[in-house]
Amino acid sequence: MPAVLLERLPLPSLQTYVTLSVIFLASSLLYTHHTVITGQTAVTLQDAVVTTTQIEEQSSSLRGWIPEPEIKEPVAGEDADIYESLGIQEPINMTLPYDNYQENFLWVLFTEAWCVWTIVNTVYCLLILLGKLIQALIFGELRVSEQQHLKDKFWNFVFYKFIFIFGVMNVQTMEEVVLWVAWFTCLGFLHLLVQLCKDRFEYLSFSPTTPRSAHAKLLGLLLVLMGCSATLLGVCVAAGFKFGLTIFAFMAAECVLLGLKTVYVIVRYLIHLWDLSLESVWENRSVYVYYSELIFELSSLSVDFGHHLHMLLWGNIFLSMASLVICMQLRYLFYEFQRRIKRHKNYRQVVKNMQARFPMATQEDLELNADECAICWESMEAARKLPCGHLFHNSCLRSWLEQDTSCPTCRMTLSERTGDQNPRADRTEAAGATNVNLAEAAAAANQGTTNHFFHFDGSRYVSWLPSFSVEVTHTSLMPGQQLRIQTSQLDSMLRQVQMMFPNFPSQVILDDLRQTRSVEVTIDNILENRLQPSRTIDLAAYREDYWENNPNSPHPQQQQEPQSQQEVTRLPTEASHGTDQMAPQAATDSNNFEVREPTEGSQLSDAVSSFTTTSQPFQSQQLVPVEEASPSRDGAVGGEHQIQAQGGRFSKSASERMSMLEQRKNALLEQARRRYLARHSEAGGDGPSSAAGHQSSDDDRVRRREVVLQATQRRLNNS
Amino acid sequence: MAGSALKRLMAEYKQLTLNPPEGIIAGPINEDNFFEWEALIMGPKDTLFDGGVFPARLTFPSDYPLSPPKMRFTCELFHPNIYPDGRVCISILHAPGDDPMGYETSAERWSPVQSVEKILLSVVSMLAEPNDESAANVDAAKKWREDRKQFEEIAKATVRKSLGL
Repeated sequence: MPAVLLERLPLPSLQTYVTLSVIFLASSLLYTHHTVITGQTAVTLQDAVVTTTQIEEQSSSLRGWIPEPEIKEPVAGEDADIYESLGIQEPINMTLPYDNYQENFLWVLFTEAWCVWTIVNTVYCLLILLGKLIQALIFGELRVSEQQHLKDKFWNFVFYKFIFIFGVMNVQTMEEVVLWVAWFTCLGFLHLLVQLCKDRFEYLSFSPTTPRSAHAKLLGLLLVLMGCSATLLGVCVAAGFKFGLTIFAFMAAECVLLGLKTVYVIVRYLIHLWDLSLESVWENRSVYVYYSELIFELSSLSVDFGHHLHMLLWGNIFLSMASLVICMQLRYLFYEFQRRIKRHKNYRQVVKNMQARFPMATQEDLELNADECAICWESMEAARKLPCGHLFHNSCLRSWLEQDTSCPTCRMTLSERTGDQNPRADRTEAAGATNVNLAEAAAAANQGTTNHFFHFDGSRYVSWLPSFSVEVTHTSLMPGQQLRIQTSQLDSMLRQVQMMFPNFPSQVILDDLRQTRSVEVTIDNILENRLQPSRTIDLAAYREDYWENNPNSPHPQQQQEPQSQQEVTRLPTEASHGTDQMAPQAATDSNNFEVREPTEGSQLSDAVSSFTTTSQPFQSQQLVPVEEASPSRDGAVGGEHQIQAQGGRFSKSASERMSMLEQRKNALLEQARRRYLARHSEAGGDGPSSAAGHQSSDDDRVRRREVVLQATQRRLNNS
Repeated sequence: MAGSALKRLMAEYKQLTLNPPEGIIAGPINEDNFFEWEALIMGPKDTLFDGGVFPARLTFPSDYPLSPPKMRFTCELFHPNIYPDGRVCISILHAPGDDPMGYETSAERWSPVQSVEKILLSVVSMLAEPNDESAANVDAAKKWREDRKQFEEIAKATVRKSLGL
């Protein structure tokens, strides 16, 4: 591409360029002035040699003519040299058409070729300076990606417009070239600014702490740009009257594209700002965003397409390089258009399916799951309910279903084509293929059998046989076989698993075994925390232990960690992160292999998950004391608990948050270092106090590690 | 898109600050850009990487949480599931559509109910128990399988290095 080549050219710095432009402009003005003066006073005057002193006088008197304020003293001297050489070599003997000085001056300025070029150069220089000014006022330092975009856009623009001017329009005279170039310069300049605004808007929307003034400035610029594109459209109309409809169409298409883009950015911006100003969830936000995007993309694609088609047909340029380029562009635009339409169809279908199949959750459902949407973590006032019982915001669910066809929480497939369950199928294709009946059948079948891709696990050991995995969903079609497995094999399998995990509830293991029908896979599931024991049983038992051991510490968490308690209640179900973090601790303490991530486990039957749902909040609060009851257990050596205590506050101010984060990071590193040094200086011998504290949990750990080792060994043997 | 992603990331950040999991600190590198995070992960206790503090960078897409973030360790880490350039290869970070290794179940993969915290916890457990079936770093996987002793040495050196000692 030309951009690559041009990037390597040693472009002068802005300062040099401006200085040079000023020098050229000044000299051309001087030259003109001189021509006019000499022409007016005595056309026949032969003495064209001007002394340097005169010139210097003239140049100082001329300074008022020069538009740039940054003209410097030494410039005048240089002018003189340039002028001198020019003036001497070129004796002036032209006749001037006008009587007065100003008109003559302009006439000379615009007829002498090199003067015209200097002026053009000056205009570009001014334009660049204007661009720089806007950048300094509104954007500040450009980011790397913005610069890159600008560069790409710029060279792209130059390339296509070059083809347009010389390939399509096939301009002949210099005037035409100058006019077109002037037009495209304006247009390109505005295009680049809009692009910059768009990039910057996207960047600003990544940060919650952007000051209002930044938004205001950017929006102001966007409005100005919109005004500019309207003005350009006016220019188009004027040109259309003069040069005819074709020219008007060419020019107007570009204007419309520019205007559309500006309006689109403004609309997106307003939506974003409105969304930020709202405290609650704006349910319809994504609909607006989607449709504004759709309308913008489709309209600009069609305008662009029409524009190119017009060029191709009008220009009589078949069988030329230009037509080739335009055809390529047309093809690209066509495919883009098609892709967009396809995506929209998919979107429509998803929406339709969703509305048909997943009813809005009732008020009871919402209250029962007093909870946030697991996708956006915002509270739900209205939600859709999936067949598996999980609730999501309408818009969140839709945007997920556009790319996938399973429940985000439990992974239950929502697609109807069971044979099509190959997860490697095209995302959008798969998403489009949702249908009512089969998913409901799947929902009904969900209790006893499986319709997961879960059996892909089997192909772990034969990963070079990818098609192996597809059909294990047949279980529901073969009830007899299913029954047989349940009665005869399942028990022995259960026993095998329970030998390894005596504390794991047998019902959960059974459920998983029914799905996996393999001892190994189930054990893997347990080890990899994909399986969730029904926690309440263990927790209840554990709680009794706790009350027995600590009868005098009623609710320490209420004074010590009000925040965490709040967090826990905030997220009682699947996404109960508050519990996640405590679960491992509880696991080691209470002698069973609990799961760190309840979510993954939810691929079990509904019963388990709803059980956990309802009982969770209270249980997890009870868990908190575990953490607090043994704060000094790790002593000076293992200091993570102290770090944890540091994370108690979430500041409102961004800078404070950042410095706190930095502090916490440093503290963690510092502690890790100290711990490392302590351990290594004592040659592995822990302090007596901490060693004693570790004793109880060490047993569990050793046991757990043994189990893990066994499992790893087994896997190795298998593969 | 970015608006809802931003809100969600903010919520996650808040949660990770108020209730940080053991040995994990994560937050935006610079609040001007909430889509670039840095996380410090402490090697889990009683494992090969015990005591090390490993910095990683998380890059979120603008449609987060619909698409998973990318995660890359910015320190050297010799581990079967970490590419030599630091990228982390765990199933939770793979979008449901793509399956680079060809065997993951979709149940193990990304879904919007996952979170930064879960990713980091998965990484911690990955550090604790390398999975040499889906080797991202073949050398490391081979060492892990065949020459555990040397692997341990390397891990020890990594831990030391990560602490800047």
